[in-house]
Amino acid sequence: MSQNTATVPDDRLVKGNHDFASITKLITDIPQERTPLWWYIAFGISNILLAVMLAMVVWLIWNGIGVWGLNNPVGWAWDITNFVWWVGIGHAGTLISAILFLFRQGWRTAINRFAEAMTIFAVMCAGLFPAIHVGRIWTIYWIFPLPNSMQLWPNFNSPLLWDVFAVFTYLTVSTLFWYVGLVPDLATMRDRVKGKISKLIYGTFALGWTGGNRQWQNYEKAYMILAGLATPLVLSVHTIVSFDFAVSIIPGWHTTIFPPYFVAGAIFSGFAMVLTLMIVSRKLYGLEDIMTVDHIEKMNIIILVTGIMVGFAYSMEFFIAWYSAFEYEKFIFVNRAMGPYAWAYWTMITCNVVAPQFFWVKKFRRNITLTFILSIVINIGMWFERFVIVVSSLATDYLPSSWGYFTPTYVDILTYVGTFGLFLTFFLLFLRFLPMVAIAEIKGVLPQANPAYYRNGQSTKTQ
Amino acid sequence: MAQIFPEWVDNIPKRLQLATIIVITGIIFGFWYFGSPEYLEVGYAPNQPIPYSHKFHVSELGMDCQYCHGSAWKSAIAAIPPTETCMTCHEYVAVDSEPLQPLRDSWETGLPVEWIRVHDIPDHAHFNHSIHVNVGIGCVTCHGRVDRMEVVMKSESMSMGWCLDCHNNPAPHLRPVEEVTNMAWEPPDDHYQFAQMVIEKRNINAPIYCNACHR
Amino acid sequence: MGKEQQQTYWRSLNELAQNEEYRKFVEREFPENATELTDGVSRRNFLQIMGASIALAGLAACRKPVQKILPYTRQPEHIVPGIPLYYASAVPFRGNLSGVVVETHEGRPTKIEGNDLHPGSNGKSNIRQQAAILDLYDQDRSRKVLRNGSDSTWEDFTAFCREHFADTGRRVAFLSEAHSSPTLERLRQSALNRFPNARWVTCEPFSEESVLNGTAMAFGRRLRPSYHFDKASVTLSLDDDFLQDSDNDVAHIGAFAQSRALASPDEEPSRLYAAESTYSLTGSNADHRLRIKSSEIPLFTFALAAHLSGEVSGLEAYAGYRNTFSDHSWISVLAEELMRNRGSSIITAGPEHDAPVHATVAAINHALGNTGQTVEYLDVPYTATADQNEAFAGLVREMGEGQIDTLVMIGTNPVYTAPADLDFQTALEQVPESLHLSLHYDETSRQSSWHVNRAHFLETWGDGHSFTGVRSVIQPLIQPLFNGKSETEFLNAVLSGEDAAGHQLVRETWQELLDGPFERGWNEVLHDGLQRGSRYNAVSVSLAGSFSAEAAGFLEAAEEPGGDSVELVVRPDPRMHDGRFANNGWLQELPDPMTKVTWDNVALMSPNTAERFGIPPTRRFGDPNQMVVRLRTASGDEAEIAAWVLPGHADNSITLHAGYGRQKVGRVADQVGVNVFPLRRSVSRLYCTAADVSATGRSYVIACTQDHHSLEGRPHVQDADLDHYRENPTFAQDAVYVPGIYGDREHPVSLFDDKQWPDHQPQWGMAIDLNACIGCGVCTIACQAENNIPVIGKREVRRGREMHWIRTDRYFRGDERGNPQVMHQPVPCMHCENAPCEQVCPVAATTHSDDGLNQMTYNRCIGTRYCANNCPYKVRRFNFFNYSKEYLTTGDDPEIIQMAMNPDVTVRFRGVMEKCTYCVQRISRAKIDTKNETGDTVKPSDGTVKTACQQACPANAITFGDLTDEKSIVSIQKSKDRNYLMLEELNVRPRTSYLAKIRNPNRQLSEPS
Repeated sequence: MSQNTATVPDDRLVKGNHDFASITKLITDIPQERTPLWWYIAFGISNILLAVMLAMVVWLIWNGIGVWGLNNPVGWAWDITNFVWWVGIGHAGTLISAILFLFRQGWRTAINRFAEAMTIFAVMCAGLFPAIHVGRIWTIYWIFPLPNSMQLWPNFNSPLLWDVFAVFTYLTVSTLFWYVGLVPDLATMRDRVKGKISKLIYGTFALGWTGGNRQWQNYEKAYMILAGLATPLVLSVHTIVSFDFAVSIIPGWHTTIFPPYFVAGAIFSGFAMVLTLMIVSRKLYGLEDIMTVDHIEKMNIIILVTGIMVGFAYSMEFFIAWYSAFEYEKFIFVNRAMGPYAWAYWTMITCNVVAPQFFWVKKFRRNITLTFILSIVINIGMWFERFVIVVSSLATDYLPSSWGYFTPTYVDILTYVGTFGLFLTFFLLFLRFLPMVAIAEIKGVLPQANPAYYRNGQSTKTQ
Repeated sequence: MAQIFPEWVDNIPKRLQLATIIVITGIIFGFWYFGSPEYLEVGYAPNQPIPYSHKFHVSELGMDCQYCHGSAWKSAIAAIPPTETCMTCHEYVAVDSEPLQPLRDSWETGLPVEWIRVHDIPDHAHFNHSIHVNVGIGCVTCHGRVDRMEVVMKSESMSMGWCLDCHNNPAPHLRPVEEVTNMAWEPPDDHYQFAQMVIEKRNINAPIYCNACHR
Repeated sequence: MGKEQQQTYWRSLNELAQNEEYRKFVEREFPENATELTDGVSRRNFLQIMGASIALAGLAACRKPVQKILPYTRQPEHIVPGIPLYYASAVPFRGNLSGVVVETHEGRPTKIEGNDLHPGSNGKSNIRQQAAILDLYDQDRSRKVLRNGSDSTWEDFTAFCREHFADTGRRVAFLSEAHSSPTLERLRQSALNRFPNARWVTCEPFSEESVLNGTAMAFGRRLRPSYHFDKASVTLSLDDDFLQDSDNDVAHIGAFAQSRALASPDEEPSRLYAAESTYSLTGSNADHRLRIKSSEIPLFTFALAAHLSGEVSGLEAYAGYRNTFSDHSWISVLAEELMRNRGSSIITAGPEHDAPVHATVAAINHALGNTGQTVEYLDVPYTATADQNEAFAGLVREMGEGQIDTLVMIGTNPVYTAPADLDFQTALEQVPESLHLSLHYDETSRQSSWHVNRAHFLETWGDGHSFTGVRSVIQPLIQPLFNGKSETEFLNAVLSGEDAAGHQLVRETWQELLDGPFERGWNEVLHDGLQRGSRYNAVSVSLAGSFSAEAAGFLEAAEEPGGDSVELVVRPDPRMHDGRFANNGWLQELPDPMTKVTWDNVALMSPNTAERFGIPPTRRFGDPNQMVVRLRTASGDEAEIAAWVLPGHADNSITLHAGYGRQKVGRVADQVGVNVFPLRRSVSRLYCTAADVSATGRSYVIACTQDHHSLEGRPHVQDADLDHYRENPTFAQDAVYVPGIYGDREHPVSLFDDKQWPDHQPQWGMAIDLNACIGCGVCTIACQAENNIPVIGKREVRRGREMHWIRTDRYFRGDERGNPQVMHQPVPCMHCENAPCEQVCPVAATTHSDDGLNQMTYNRCIGTRYCANNCPYKVRRFNFFNYSKEYLTTGDDPEIIQMAMNPDVTVRFRGVMEKCTYCVQRISRAKIDTKNETGDTVKPSDGTVKTACQQACPANAITFGDLTDEKSIVSIQKSKDRNYLMLEELNVRPRTSYLAKIRNPNRQLSEPS
């Protein structure tokens, strides 16, 4: 009766009239039904982009770094910009799954799987750049502490080295975390798919999951531990990435605010990217019930918060530059806003500081189209943020005689565009063959999961 | 429902983990060892255009290294002797021996004998013979018992690590300067004191910074 | 010209991979018959595969696979493999020699240094001399004798000469470069005796003819003025770039720097005034600079003379003369200054100015009693008695009228350099037989019936005199690479039809020149590089009786140029001169000292003038495109060339540098820049007035190595006026506030208690005296020659990837529209003790050595470029492409250019960082030699280690040595009050410090007009 119905919370995480069975069906059917045409088209396009990227990388390695637009003051430009940008995007995933998990945020269940996948692919794209940006890639193994007949070790003072370790660790842990989370759902897939081969494959990766009590117990433990491990990494990765700049003595780089500033920016762009992908796929796969407008609104709030943090960091940089009374520092920041790279700077401000302000308004927060557009705008802005930091600082540093302007070549541009090919190729494969929502976990947040639910033999009717 | 996998599959994961660890370590150490000059270059002994026997000339005729490779005491290079040097004897000795034909040709035509390089350190490493022999590092230390070689053979790896071994601790390799070319020299029992004395007196600190060899 | 052009010289890399030499090169590394390793095929294959893959990746520069050793068959005397030998020789330029010492490795010359014994050199050198080594190894040099463009031989040529010159009645004309060679002179005489109808004309596009005419006008004799700037306390340069555009520039720079030297505040440096149209290197070192059009220089000179005529005797001819400048503020100030420094002042005028200017200058110098003090007049037996420019014009006229049967051209390239109005080319067509000797198959060779390939001066015997007449023998260091012939051999063949060796010809001549036993004297000359005591004799002069009449004449003729009519001034290029060095990559890539433009010549103009013709007066940051202007002379000759705004240039005046736009000369020279000789007239060669200038609207890409020209008020370059320096001697050190104290004064303190340097001697350091440095850029070329630095071509320079290890930064300060000051600052690696680059390298490829060098280990470098990013001085250079391989394996036979490489320095491969090493190869050699000699120390005595830049610097601006030794020259320099560290506040502790520049302005002119 009314009294009972009153106990049912009205802002449920899963909309629509769903029970365990329907959820399972909804999600596991996706990999099973015929591959939709749009998927083939999308996959084709991303493959072309991927091919372009590979071609550019080969061209680069064959000819030398000179095919990029780099010059003497500006030794890093799009390469490192793209690296930081992709790593940043790679943040949301683990943040959502690990930190929100520890904070018991039920709503994460709708998006964590898919955010983690995105993370992994983004970090792959990121990892590409440090590798190919070196002049002699065939000697790159020297940065690993391997035994050798030269009796030489890498230089453990170098932030670049820390960076390599940080990114590798992050990639490993994220992948593990993602995979562990997948195991029960893989088992579900194994049990539902028809084809012998598919059974075999899903089965292999399900590691013989039976859903037994003990397994669940271990699973929960493992998941908790990994979440614990992943949480510091979420913060450490981008902190260390920011050290690449903060540890140097170049005005505009040598800034102690960088670690928090970079992490905030990373979460900012990460969530934006999740939203971009989520809004598309929930429509395509009709998952509006699971990835609800409430989710979008919650994420928009986080975007608003981190956006404000980033904006604060920008202004704080200026303040510190002035407060440091260090003329080169002062110059570089004024120069960012007024100098040759002003266009990039103001693009950044517009996209990262102005754009998110829409989300103060509930109406906008819940407006899917607007959210979609802004999420893209924000990622453009975040790319420019990194570009401004990397290039404008190098272009005009201490000695005016050595100032130089950076102009990208087609190789710079196509390599960057190509990484989307890499990213989307993997992401589409993920959408096609894996359950894109954590089935087991989403069930956990259904009202039915509440032991009290069946009291008075009440069935799951809801109006 | 039907079993997809047989019983034994259960063990695979553990073994897989073990295997991966072993394989990766194996690869790394494989490269370390089989990729090292130690393995690749020691024992390299090409046949020379003229089968010149150090064994014969040094052990039996008792020629000194300096007779042919004297520049080692003055310059970075321990040069291969000019045809002239060989001809000082071979104008009179073994004048019509078959193997010496290339030598005589060279002498007549003025074209050099094309020896094959045995001890070859890369261009980016600048080794200087004079500084080593003049402080008393014996020829044998790097080139091995050339006096016992029919065909010259590379007897040391000459890898960077190998150089550093000595530069970090030169004492054991020091000898009286007059013994430098003595292949058979054995360090006496008080060699340690001797070495310390030399290091003191000649102010030897073998450089281990990059520019010492790489410029 | 429209779009940027890429030298065919610079091939793309994949092209390179298929290129023949490259394959040869890889094959050479793995000869078919390379012997197996002892334990069979397997291992060798491994080696070979590894080797091949690496070699294809191009790592060969860093790794040396299986190869042959080719010993000498007969080892030459003195040669110990691995030890360089040094021979004395001399470099000819415009007929004057400068003594040099040439370093050879196993018989191949690799480096040229000045000769300490030679007064014209004092052990120093200039960019032309440093770059000469590259000319020697220039693959594009002509390799054969050509008859009407088709292959022939030297024998055919001599045969032709025997037959052709048998008829001595022929009307032969000899056209030669300026020379001072006794041997050539001897042959010249016999030539003139042999052919009664012969005539001998000297052809130099930029010559001292009008200087000689001037002295002739003043003193009745054609005499060469020789200035002693070290003795002068006041110098006035009238459009004369005597620090650069001079045959005696090395000595000039040395003397000038000496006259400005300041050990302590109480010393009195000399003062330099410059009145000029373009902003010349000399002008940039002046205390006061007046920017006036070149066409106004005569008026200015006459006005000065007129003003002085009242105060000294000897200038009566100018009494009462007045023109626009008579009331100019400078005239009275200068006059006063000159009167105060009678006998210790110098007035010089640009050699291209007309005779009256030089006559006036000579008269003033004489009147001021400078003759015999600061100015000497040398009687040069090798200068003709008549004006050779006129003679040349006359000759061309006769050629045109078909009055010349045979034209023998010894060097020179008149088809390219002759003034347009003479139209040498058509005249040449009227000459039945024309013989041309030249290094390249150039514009003139193509028009001649015979071309004989000339030998480089390092290849053959020759002789001559220095600017002041010191006699030297030019000693060859290598057999002619392309069987070229020297001018003496060529001329001798023409005369005798025989093939005599230059060696013989020279020795013959010197039989007379040497007293005492010949062999001893000869060997002494060869050893010292000069004949001691020889010099032109300075003659005592007096004003010619006819002078006042002449003066009246030219004062009458002197007309005031229209205020806003534009003049075109054609000057020799600081690097290419008249184009004879155009195929030299080092010089092409050396930034122009004032504009920092490479690989092009430009139309220099002031911001105002630029604006007047619709050209933006300031360049957009990072934009390489320059507006192209069309220049038309009054006589209708045209040139289209990129405009370049040079602050401080005189308004309504446009300066053009000759020597560019060569055609089919070589893969370096071709298509570089624009040929401006067509804008030149045979009379008043320097400038033509009333030119018509218009913007074409097209733009052209210019490769400039310095994008930003203002210091932005930053304290990197410290300079002050003498007074300010005296009040505050440590102004340079105090310019920047540095928190913390150690030692006796402000120094940044470090968190770590680090010693100033490790317990190890020596500790190397460098000091650069900005007060001495004039900004000529010879350090850059010397460094390039010493350290195997590749030439990378215009495209790469334009992208800001120049490879020079030491650059000279040039900053403008003050009113860009008016007369801004210029500061030159050479910047090598600072070898910081707390080097930021070392911290960030992930693989420890750049580290610190025990003796305080910041080491760059090329083969460890993986090329992250992090070090370059983190270098506050931006001195690190990255191999974005495989520059060295392109540089060393391109062309018909790359082995030739490879011979120029310094065996002690690793050739860098693509993808690695490189930078100044303080010439560590020289340091190591010195340390090893010291150890071998002394047996117990590796500390060379002070001064034995000279870096390449230091050794070349004619101003002695660079000092280098051991900092642990208080008595070393560098320690003494660093202890001076002007010493300061650039960016000291960063606490990177640079080992390279600077000594502040001191200007010595005249209070009366404190505000330079």
